[in-house]
Amino acid sequence: MIRGEHLTKVYGVGSVEVRALDGVDIEIAKGEFVGVMGASGSGKSTLLHMLGLLDRPTDGALAIDGVDVTRLSEGERELFRLQRLGYVFQDYALVPELTAQENVYLPSKVRGMTAKECTVACRGILDQVGLKDRAGFLPGELSGGEQQRVAIARALVNRPALLLADEPCANLDSRNSVLILDLIRKLNRELRQTVVMVSHEDWHRRYFDRVLFLRDGRIVEDEYGGDAPGTA
Amino acid sequence: MLEDEQVALFLAARLIARGNKGTLLLTIMILAMVFVNLIFLPSIIAGVVVLFNQQTIDYSFGNLIVEPKEGELRIAAPVQLVQKINGIPGVVASTPRYTTGGTVVYRGESTSPLVTAIDPAREQEVLRIHTKVRSGDYLSPADTGEILIGETLAGTSRSGGDSTPTLGGVAVGRIVDLTLPNGVTRQFRVKGILKAGTSSVDNAVFITRRDAASMLGEADPANAILVRTKTTGNDDAMRLVLMQYGVQEKIWTWEDKSADFLESIVGSFGIINAISTGVSLVIAVVVIFIVIFIGIVYRRKQIGILRAIGIGRSIIIKSYLFQALFICTCGTLAGGALLLAVLQFLAGNPIVFPGGPVAPFLEPRLVVQSVASLYAASLIAGYLPSWLTTREEILDAIRG
Ligand SMILES: Nc1ncnc2c1ncn2[C@@H]1O[C@H](COP(=O)(O)OP(=O)(O)O)[C@@H](O)[C@H]1O
Ligand SMILES: [Mg+2]
Repeated sequence: MIRGEHLTKVYGVGSVEVRALDGVDIEIAKGEFVGVMGASGSGKSTLLHMLGLLDRPTDGALAIDGVDVTRLSEGERELFRLQRLGYVFQDYALVPELTAQENVYLPSKVRGMTAKECTVACRGILDQVGLKDRAGFLPGELSGGEQQRVAIARALVNRPALLLADEPCANLDSRNSVLILDLIRKLNRELRQTVVMVSHEDWHRRYFDRVLFLRDGRIVEDEYGGDAPGTA
Repeated sequence: MLEDEQVALFLAARLIARGNKGTLLLTIMILAMVFVNLIFLPSIIAGVVVLFNQQTIDYSFGNLIVEPKEGELRIAAPVQLVQKINGIPGVVASTPRYTTGGTVVYRGESTSPLVTAIDPAREQEVLRIHTKVRSGDYLSPADTGEILIGETLAGTSRSGGDSTPTLGGVAVGRIVDLTLPNGVTRQFRVKGILKAGTSSVDNAVFITRRDAASMLGEADPANAILVRTKTTGNDDAMRLVLMQYGVQEKIWTWEDKSADFLESIVGSFGIINAISTGVSLVIAVVVIFIVIFIGIVYRRKQIGILRAIGIGRSIIIKSYLFQALFICTCGTLAGGALLLAVLQFLAGNPIVFPGGPVAPFLEPRLVVQSVASLYAASLIAGYLPSWLTTREEILDAIRG
C-alpha cells in the first residue's frame, strides 16, 4: 500500500539546516491502522505531509497504491489527493457557511459524481460517522467533536485509499476524543480503511494496530499489536 | 471541466447567502453609487451640450448658414434666394440677415455691438429670439426707427464697474444713437429688451433690414441667410441638398460655426469626467478587493485545507470571481434604480443653466460602457486577491 525508502526532509540551508525526517524507511499494508507517535518536533507531521503529497521529500522514494508519487507533477498530485487520499487535521476547518452535508458534498462533487450520487454518498458517510440527523446543521451549530466527525466524513466521502489524520483529537476533550478514536477504528475495521494517524497522547496507543515511534526524524520503534477497548 | 464551475458557483452562492449581509449590502451600495457616478456626470454634460446646441440653432444660426459667394460681400437678390431655399424639401423656412459692426450711444455711454438687420416675420419662422423678449415688444415687419437691445448690452443703471461696456441701463422707449461703419447715424427708439442666455443675442442689437437699407443706401442688403430644416442632425446632408438645388453661395452648418467653442467646452468637461470615471472605478476595484481580500485572509487555513483535500486553486479563485460578479450585478441594478430615482427627481427639479433647464441626456453607449467597465473592475478585484492568497504553499496556509 505504502512503501517509503530513505524518506528525508531537510529544512533550511547551510549551517542552520533541520533534518525533520532523517532517512525513514516505511511500509504500510492495506487496511492497517498505524499510529505515528513521538515528542513534539520529532517529525510526525512532516512524515504525514510526505505521505499526503502536501510536501515533497528532499530525498528518498515513495510509492502509494502502486504509484511512484515522487514523479507526479503538481497537477497530478492535486488529482491524486482528491481521488485517493483523505485528510483530517487538528483544525476541522469546515466552511462555516455550508451545512454538514454541503461540506461533505464539496470534494465528492469536485471528484465528478452526479448530484444524485453525491447526495447518496454524503448521506451514507454522514450516517457512518453518526451524524445522519445533523446533516442540515451549520458548523456553528455543532460541537467540536461533531465538527471533527463532519471533517472525517468529508475526508472519506471519496473512498480514499488512505486516510491521514494529524492529531485529530488535539482540540477535543477526552470524551469526544474517545468518540473520534472509536469512529476511526470502526471505519478502519468496517471499510478496511487504511489509516495513518499522528498522535502524541500515550493513551491513544491501544487503538492502533501498529505504532511507529519517531525521534529526531528517525523511526526508533515499530511495534505491532494494539488492542482497542470495546472492539474485541 | 464544468464540475469546477459548478462547485465554484455552489460555493459562491452559499458564501453569499449565509455570509455577512451587512458587508455585502454596503459593498453593493458603494458599487451602486459608483455606477451612478459613472453615468450621472457625463449625462449632465451631454445634456448641457444638447441644450447648448439647441440654443445655437434657436438663437444664433438656425441649421444652415448661407453666406456670399467667394470674394463677394453681399448675397445677390436675397429675397429670391430665400424663396428658392424655402421650396427645397426638408427646409422649414429661411431668413435673410445683414450683420455688421456698429456703435450705439445712450446718454454718453458708447458701445460697439454687432448690429443685425432682420426681416422680423421671416426671422420668427427660423429662430426663436422673438420668444425671448424680456420687456417691450419684438420688431414688426413695418417698423422703422425701432431697435431691439440685448439685456447684457442694455446694462443696469448701477455703474457696471470695469466689466464689458454697457449702455448703463437703457430701457424700453428710450432713444439711442446708432452709427454704422459707413458713418451714417440715426436715432432709434428701444422697442424691446432681449434675454436669450446666449451672447449672440444678449450682447447684440437688432433693427429691421428696411432701416439698414436706407442707412446703407442699398436696396436689399444681406450677408447671410439662416435656414431652419425639419430635423437636426442631418445638417451635412441638407447642405448638400441645398447645393444640389443650385444654391451657389457658401453654405455652413451650425456645427461648422460653433465647433471650436463647443469642442473646447466639451473637451474640458471631458477631462473632468475622465478623472471622475477613473476615481470611481478605482474605488470600485479597491472596495471589492478589500472585501474579498479580508474574506480570504480570514479563511486562510480553511482554504488551505480545502486545497489539501483536492478542491483546486482554480475552483477557489472562480468562486471568488462569481462572488465579485454577483456583487457587481447587484450593484449595477441598485445603481440603475438609484439613477432612475435621481433622473426622476431632476425631471421635477431641473438644474437651470444660463439658457434654460438641463435635461440629463442618457447615451445608451455610455450605459453599456459603464456596465462593462464596472464588470471588468469587479473581475480584476475578485481575481487578484484570490490569486494572490492561493499562491502560497498549502502547508503554509494550513500551519497559519
Ligand atoms: N517549514 C518548516 N521550516 C523549518 N523547519 C520546520 C518546518 N516545518 C517543520 N520544521 C521543523 O521540523 C521538525 C519536525 O517538525 P514536525 O514534523 O512538525 O514535528 P511534530 O509534528 O512531530 O511536532 C521540527 O524541528 C520543526 O521545527
Ligand atoms: Mg505536528
